[in-house]
Amino acid sequence: MSDALLTMKGISKDFELADGSAIRAVNDVSLTVEENSVCVLLGPSGCGKSTILRMMAGLEDPSAGDIMLKQHPVMGPARERGMVFQAYTSFDWLSVRKNVEFGMKINGVGARERKEKAEHFIKLVGLEKFIDAYPTQLSGGMRQRVAIARTLANGPELLLMDEPFGALDAETRWHMQELMVQIANEENTSMVIVTHDLEEAIFLADKIIFLSAHPGRVKEVIIPDFKDGKRIADKEHIVQLPGYAALEHKLMRLMREEGERE
Amino acid sequence: MSEVNSRKAENQSLTGKRNKRFLEVRKPVSRRQKILSGVGIWAVFFAVWYLSTHAGWVNKLLVPAPEQVFGSLYELIAERGFMSDIGISIARVIGAFLMASVVAVPLGILMGTFPAIEAIFAPFVSAWRYLPAPSFIPILLMWFGTGEAPKLALLFIGVIFFLITLVMDATKNVRAELIETALTLGANRRITLFNVVLPAVLPDVMVAMRQMLAMAWTYLVIAEIVASTTGIGAMMMRARRFLNTDEILAGILVIGALGLLFDLLFAQLHRWLFPYLREKR
Repeated sequence: MSDALLTMKGISKDFELADGSAIRAVNDVSLTVEENSVCVLLGPSGCGKSTILRMMAGLEDPSAGDIMLKQHPVMGPARERGMVFQAYTSFDWLSVRKNVEFGMKINGVGARERKEKAEHFIKLVGLEKFIDAYPTQLSGGMRQRVAIARTLANGPELLLMDEPFGALDAETRWHMQELMVQIANEENTSMVIVTHDLEEAIFLADKIIFLSAHPGRVKEVIIPDFKDGKRIADKEHIVQLPGYAALEHKLMRLMREEGERE
Repeated sequence: MSEVNSRKAENQSLTGKRNKRFLEVRKPVSRRQKILSGVGIWAVFFAVWYLSTHAGWVNKLLVPAPEQVFGSLYELIAERGFMSDIGISIARVIGAFLMASVVAVPLGILMGTFPAIEAIFAPFVSAWRYLPAPSFIPILLMWFGTGEAPKLALLFIGVIFFLITLVMDATKNVRAELIETALTLGANRRITLFNVVLPAVLPDVMVAMRQMLAMAWTYLVIAEIVASTTGIGAMMMRARRFLNTDEILAGILVIGALGLLFDLLFAQLHRWLFPYLREKR
């Protein structure tokens, strides 16, 4: 793996409760996201994985510790760290094309470049037939494709995804996962993906960071080396590889241990 | 056993198909049935009105027959310049409503977007909401005399504080993910406000305005009945002096029709302005 793109050092996050006391959601997390890699944050609910992602995005400030993107400290949200949410975030008043152009437009990208890039990424996510449709005319999976194209077209250095396929049905989720592998391969996009779905983690990850709960901290960092450093955009294929079942079993055991600790 | 069979019989005709029953829980009715039902209830209303006046069940002086009311409505419009009263009333509602909206909509959106602005104005606005606008009529008359100003002021006070609160609440309902998406795409505060919050909340602002317009009509009639020589309400008060109940009812009819008309206009405007909301799936 190559150079570090994003590093977290000694990150903790406390949330203040209504009665004035504080609860620790994330405790002393240090991790590295390498350039051109897909990093999956996996863990049971309550492990603070979404909070960690939101801190990477700059939507939450850490209570302690440092986050660096390359050489610069992360301060607040910015274009370089684009985020896709679980909930649909398409701007309903804009067509698919205008949605995808939105980020470029507010960042002053010229009309011609905007058009070219928008068309490229809309094609990449397979929505070219719906380019002039409004999001309200699209299905849930298609709306997530719009959100992904919109974020990618804005040219972020890091794509952050918070359970992006959690609201989709199983078949759609499967297609979306294959799409993400294809995007990682073709666009060399660095990604951090939060999920609690073991299969999804194994399928997408170059590196899995397993978190334990209450408070959230890194339990184990797992490299799915049975993939031999390749990304495989075909789910039927990957489940048959030797090593897949063993890794899934290991992750299940980790999840179970966490559950019993409760 | 026999009870089970009889219940089956209740639900099944001879062909084995389920009988249609009039009352079905949450089963939508056909368009035809909807129209028939809607026309039917009004037909019953006018029939009861017609019968009770013509059969002498009620005092004809206090409750004129429906055809008499429509007749005097025609006479009012055709011969006695009622159109100018209607015009004045409409102008008052629209004028005061626009003034209130020009202040309330931007302020409500700012309060719903920036908690610091909400912290300043919310304690003030919510206190005013509990003061009934008509309680200001005596002081408004002292301040502004008897011209248009006190009427416009009453409508303004009656509408603005509720509209601010409705718009603020609608703005707060703009989903956090939409705003956070804009921020992670690199939007600053100005872009977040004008390019995301504003277009996201506009349809709901229109709905709030539609609700408050109905309220404006209520205050208009109060203003015109209490202190006015022009307008629909004033005409009705004049008619009362001469015991012309048919003209009073004609006035009520016109107010109702205008309220309905403006509501339909707003609904149509909503469809024109936000075509993308029609395709919801």
